[in-house]
Amino acid sequence: MRFVLLLLLFFTLSATGAPVRTPQVEAELVAERDKWVPGEPITVALRLAMIPGWHTYWRNPGDSGEPTRIEWRLPPGFTAGEIEWPVPQRIPVGPLMNFGYEGEVLLLTRLVAPSDLAAGQPVTVRARAHWLVCEVHCIPEEAELSLTLPVAGRAGPDARWGKPIAVARAFVPVPAPEGWSFGARSEEGGASLAIAPPDGVALKEAFFLPYEQGKIEPAALQTLAREGNGYRLALPAAAQPVGPFERVSGVLVSPQGPALAIDFPIAARFADLGLALALALAFAGGLLLNLMPCVLPVLSIKALGFAAAGEAGGSRLKDGLLYSAGVLASFWLLAALLAALRAGGAQLGWGFQLQSPVAVALLAALFLVLALNLSGLFEFRLSVAGRPAGEFLSGVLAVVIASPCTAPFMGVALGYAVLESGWRAFLVFTALGAGMALPYAALAWFPGWRRLLPRPGAWMPRLKRWLAVPLYATVIWLAWVFAQQVGPAATAHDASWEPYSAGKVASLAAAGKPLFVDFTAAWCVTCQVNERVVLAREDVLADFRSRGVALLRADWTRRDPEIARALAALGRSGVPAYVLYKPGRPPLVLPEVLTRERLLAALDG
Amino acid sequence: MKRLALALAFAAAATAHAATVGTPAPEFTAADLQGKPVKLSDHRGKYVVLEWTNPECPYVRRHYNSGNMPALQKEFGAKDVVWLTVNSTNQSSDEFKTPQQMAKWLSEQGAAPKATLIDKDSKVGRLYSARTTPHMYVVDPQGRLIYAGAIDDKSWASTEETKKARNYVRAALGEAMAGKPVSVAATSPYGCTVKY
Repeated sequence: MRFVLLLLLFFTLSATGAPVRTPQVEAELVAERDKWVPGEPITVALRLAMIPGWHTYWRNPGDSGEPTRIEWRLPPGFTAGEIEWPVPQRIPVGPLMNFGYEGEVLLLTRLVAPSDLAAGQPVTVRARAHWLVCEVHCIPEEAELSLTLPVAGRAGPDARWGKPIAVARAFVPVPAPEGWSFGARSEEGGASLAIAPPDGVALKEAFFLPYEQGKIEPAALQTLAREGNGYRLALPAAAQPVGPFERVSGVLVSPQGPALAIDFPIAARFADLGLALALALAFAGGLLLNLMPCVLPVLSIKALGFAAAGEAGGSRLKDGLLYSAGVLASFWLLAALLAALRAGGAQLGWGFQLQSPVAVALLAALFLVLALNLSGLFEFRLSVAGRPAGEFLSGVLAVVIASPCTAPFMGVALGYAVLESGWRAFLVFTALGAGMALPYAALAWFPGWRRLLPRPGAWMPRLKRWLAVPLYATVIWLAWVFAQQVGPAATAHDASWEPYSAGKVASLAAAGKPLFVDFTAAWCVTCQVNERVVLAREDVLADFRSRGVALLRADWTRRDPEIARALAALGRSGVPAYVLYKPGRPPLVLPEVLTRERLLAALDG
Repeated sequence: MKRLALALAFAAAATAHAATVGTPAPEFTAADLQGKPVKLSDHRGKYVVLEWTNPECPYVRRHYNSGNMPALQKEFGAKDVVWLTVNSTNQSSDEFKTPQQMAKWLSEQGAAPKATLIDKDSKVGRLYSARTTPHMYVVDPQGRLIYAGAIDDKSWASTEETKKARNYVRAALGEAMAGKPVSVAATSPYGCTVKY
């Protein structure tokens, strides 16, 4: 008790501007300029100088401690902002960690003098500052401080404190400038922050200081690992969490770059899907691929090929197996190619093969040949029954012509595969292949099913000519995609949709505005269908407008690392992806098959 | 490989701490002021409050000088709640208090815990990830942690204002004893660092 009373003797009302001294701390208010200017802001700093070994605390003190507080007593008309905190140090205390300041710190506040402030008399602002200063012992202290400056129409920098305050300001974290992009993903045991610095910036070390207690464990090691063209920082959750960990909100510190203030919602980890569910979805997606406009015409012809061959003999099992082998081998090849390219650091996702104009051109040529064949204008047998190579290759062909299409469920399963990598991804691609090969393989295996097929007749050539039509349409569409990819960059912009950028998402989210992002590509059939059938509709656009939802379109027709990173952060590897950002909530990824009802449910839910 | 590194980093952080709300409170044995061993499981079947303390900490002093902490100890002691005050200050610290010094301070303050534990090698503190003094935990009669965190919501209160703050421990005990779920089960504790 006596100890406390003794300390109180050191608290004095400061004579205007004179620093207050306690045994551990010297405190005063200092200004960056030498006069008040009516209507203009000026930075006033609370200067705390601690004796060696003692520290005061940041806005998040860490495991213990208390942030410094300023209670302003301002003359009428003056306003004061929040404390702008320079980047703190990490101060370990045994097994615990505090965030604070040793030596000297300038805690900045912007004060604005009223525009009707009369020149002539000097004006005094006062503040009661509270802080906790600790070494091994801790002492809460407070001081009444004041600052008096003359009033004038213009002011120059303060001779003594102008420069130090400018230096302190350089250490206040800023929002990430252009070129940086981030994503946050939930992990087992916490979250991880994906960091993509601008070209030429390499991070050797980095750590993250959260603004709030009870989310991230202050003393835990945050490992930084390279990932593709960027990095991933592990953020272990607090051992005793307080509230849900839904946002990564705080300061990213690295000796190789400026201190960055970031605030991102954490996307649910798609790998939470679990392998079993991912496999089931992949299988279903594979089955549905057979119904997609890319695949159905050609597959129908193959199936009818059975009918044409008559009920010759029992099981065509070998043909079915060879076809399946072709399908599976193609998927494995694509998976391996994707994995190899990503391991090499490329920002790729599913559909990567279509981002190359050369691949698109070749595909268009292939479809043209197929269409001509079906029209009877160009003869070659699509599947030569009984020739093993033919059956295998027709399986490969099926996968090649399926590549522009993404079936429902495929997106989710592929997102899982791309994120998980390794043997799990391999299994997902296998399930996809198995699903896709199943209908034809079943027909090949069960003669009974083949009997259900319509008997051959004159209608067959006519049907083939009709089925050529969607293939011609595909050729025209692929030609259009090719034109988009090699033509000038400016595509016709729909006035309602703004081009996507990570910076726009961040600033809109920070402003508390809901937004909807349409991740699309010219070569993605599902995307084009959804856009025409749902997203371009007047009533849907009105739904968005009436709810004040900003609309962004991320066009992935050509390779774009920023979009690829954004997709990865959302747990997706390909398009389409439809994401709804609502203030205060984690991003909601909508299903690939969009309907107005689903959109409305998400918007209002 | 990177995934493995990430997983290991998380695992390392997680295994270091075990006491979280909703899980069984970790069992411990510690010596009281007379040197007798006290186990958490001795008190299974009753509510237990664990109060981390350090007489050298200004926050602890404020809660005792205002009479706030002793009043809580008496109020809930009368309701058969086992109040255990724990001092995990390591014996190598110059803030360490011997059993005699603790006993003297507690009687000066009018404190009334069921027992006071001298955790001189800081084992119990580490087991519970106690970070501050005061740091409060409430254990239910089935041995589950139902509250962990600050004593109340006003870290900067003056001695006079202390009793007016919203007391989380009183609230948690009141709700649990009435059979209701604890509405605020976890808060960030405030105070001086535990001197490990």
